[in-house]
Amino acid sequence: MLNVLMLGVGQCGNRILDAINKEAFGGSSASKLAKYYLKPKFPSRVETLAINTAVNDLKELRFTTAKDRLHVPNLHGVGANRNVGKQAFMDNRDMIMGEIEKRGDFDLAFVITSTSGGTGSSFSPLLINELKRQYRNITVITVAVLPFREEGSIYMQNAAFSMRELMEVEAEGIILADNQYMKRFSGDIASAYDKINGMIAQRLLFLVESLDSEMLSVTDLGDFKTVMNGGLRIGTMGFYQADSKNLSIRDAIENSLKPANLLYPANVTDDAARAMIIIQGSREHLDVDEITKEVERLSASAGHVFKGIVVKKGRPKVLSVFTLAAAPELEGIYAQAARAMQDEKERRTRARKQLDDAFAHIEDLEEIY
Amino acid sequence: MRPTPIVCLMLFLLFMHLMVPALAASDSDEDDDDDEVTFKDFTLDIGDRIDLGDYQMELIDVQSVADGLAVMRVSKSGGALDEQRAFLVDSANNFDGGAESDGVTVTVTDILDETSVKVRVEYRESLGTARKRASERPAAFPDKPQILVEKSFDKNQIRVGDEVKVTITVKNTGTGQALGIAVQDLPPLPEFSYVVGYPPKIKETLDPGQSDSAVYVMNAVKEGSIRVPAVQVSYTDKKKNSLSNNSDAFNIQINPKSRAELAIDLEGPASIPLEGEAYVNVSLKNMGSAPATRIVVEGEIKPAEGLAATNLDRSIFEIPPGGEENYSLRLAGSSPGDYAIRIQAGYDGGDGSLKEEASLKVAVLEREYKYQYLLLTIPIAIVALWMYRRYREYKY
Repeated sequence: MLNVLMLGVGQCGNRILDAINKEAFGGSSASKLAKYYLKPKFPSRVETLAINTAVNDLKELRFTTAKDRLHVPNLHGVGANRNVGKQAFMDNRDMIMGEIEKRGDFDLAFVITSTSGGTGSSFSPLLINELKRQYRNITVITVAVLPFREEGSIYMQNAAFSMRELMEVEAEGIILADNQYMKRFSGDIASAYDKINGMIAQRLLFLVESLDSEMLSVTDLGDFKTVMNGGLRIGTMGFYQADSKNLSIRDAIENSLKPANLLYPANVTDDAARAMIIIQGSREHLDVDEITKEVERLSASAGHVFKGIVVKKGRPKVLSVFTLAAAPELEGIYAQAARAMQDEKERRTRARKQLDDAFAHIEDLEEIY
Repeated sequence: MRPTPIVCLMLFLLFMHLMVPALAASDSDEDDDDDEVTFKDFTLDIGDRIDLGDYQMELIDVQSVADGLAVMRVSKSGGALDEQRAFLVDSANNFDGGAESDGVTVTVTDILDETSVKVRVEYRESLGTARKRASERPAAFPDKPQILVEKSFDKNQIRVGDEVKVTITVKNTGTGQALGIAVQDLPPLPEFSYVVGYPPKIKETLDPGQSDSAVYVMNAVKEGSIRVPAVQVSYTDKKKNSLSNNSDAFNIQINPKSRAELAIDLEGPASIPLEGEAYVNVSLKNMGSAPATRIVVEGEIKPAEGLAATNLDRSIFEIPPGGEENYSLRLAGSSPGDYAIRIQAGYDGGDGSLKEEASLKVAVLEREYKYQYLLLTIPIAIVALWMYRRYREYKY
């Protein structure tokens, strides 16, 4: 059995972690009161911990137990200031790592964070390093959420620097989720966030379940690490559940790779470095020939594709995890971040100059009473 | 024709006879100034006498109060007069020519009773003063019958159908012979039918101290409280005085006919638990006045299934009046529901066959869960505790 640690850092990470806990109660079908009469059902031994400097963000959580909410005392958040966040982490490192250590030993850790916020983007790189230092054999996967592009220059700046730091740490890889990309979901912003969080939670738990299942065709944590080490070590996930009208496993695999079902805009055919396809469903739906043909077709473009098949009663479900050899969208983000930073710098210079000019009016004057 | 000497002598004698009293009367008229006729009243008992000069007047007997006859003896010292005569009330009796002729006139003015009368004595004052001399010998009462009559029943407790002997007893407790005794008993009462001996026959004559009785037999036919009227007896004494007496009236109670009356009493629990046992006490009590015999007790339970009982049927030879027979039924409930236990006793109650029955309702309860409420409260409490624990677990 896999020992899995899921850390939700910052507001975004906390919410995704809460969605994971909700998923353990049944996902979108779970009622708000499910936590009062059900026990969370994780596929493996999963420990969750929501870490935040803003206590209000922790209070918002609904499906995460109180003991799994760790408040790092630093006023009420770090104000999107990564430097303050880093300092807060360092000041509370022992306390944070102590809380994690209480939860035992782990084979796999997901650090779920937004790249744009204060706490998550500043804590996560440091936290990953600490995890790697404390747990020698742990596989750490970062689940990083990119911001809406119009959220502001600080968020863009944070995303740019945070992503760079996340790529520099010793984590096995990054799974990207792009809020901007998932903006296409209809509805209000709250339900859109809920949907995004739910999608990420569903995929992560499916992945954990699959890695810890007895498969017809085996993939394990090692295969997953290999996939995540491919390319830029940046990847994403796709997921598809066949509907009753079309139970074709081939179509399900194809659909899982379609942009509509990915967390991050990527062209699997062109950009994938390594991939893992995990298929779950009733035996009668799992046509090995079709699966093989589809995997072979994907392998032709993505290099190596691990496939895992889990026989489980139900319609076919397919999770595709792949790393990217190129991430043109990231370049766009960095360019936008740079522009935003430059604009910010210029605005600040202009404002300073205006202020200096204003002060010049009272230069050499004394206060008279 | 010239009168004969004999005729002349006779005329002379007649003349003398007529003239001498007239002369005497004229003499007495001269004496009337200090020798007037007076009278005095006395009440005499038998034996009492009145002394007046040489006269003695003694009451000998009261012969008949009704007829107003009393017997008195009037005598005179020296034996010149000694006469016993019956006096009629208010009828003057002259002795020695009466008061007008220096004799006495005695009149019984009233007869008070059998032994005393009122007497008036008229006399000339020259005779002296009349005085009463009470008799020194005890009063000699006349022989007088006294009949006591009594009516009695031979039973104190009478029930309808009982034969009753009625005894009429007549006794002469007086000193004289009672004659012409006639007993008058009232005609038969509607509560009785006479069997034999009516009307009662009593001797017509009873000497003092003698008694007689007559018995007649009746059947009590109707219950109720009855006033038995007095028996009247009429008789006469030797003097033909009519006398009568009567017994005391009294009440008797005729009770209903004697018979047995069984009362069945069932005592038991109103409910028994399912698969549980209970006992019902059956009590047969003879509340009647006759023994209940050949008692056959039969019991049944409705509905027949679901409640079983032992000893439902039994026979009892006899239960005397006031007696009681007790036994128990053992009940075993096997199916919940309401049941009726009916006990019927047939018996000979002395007035034919009788039946008595009683019933008892018994409920066999549903299986009882003593702490049934816990079935609800404990899960609710557990759920509440669970939810509270979860609330605390998730409360941040």
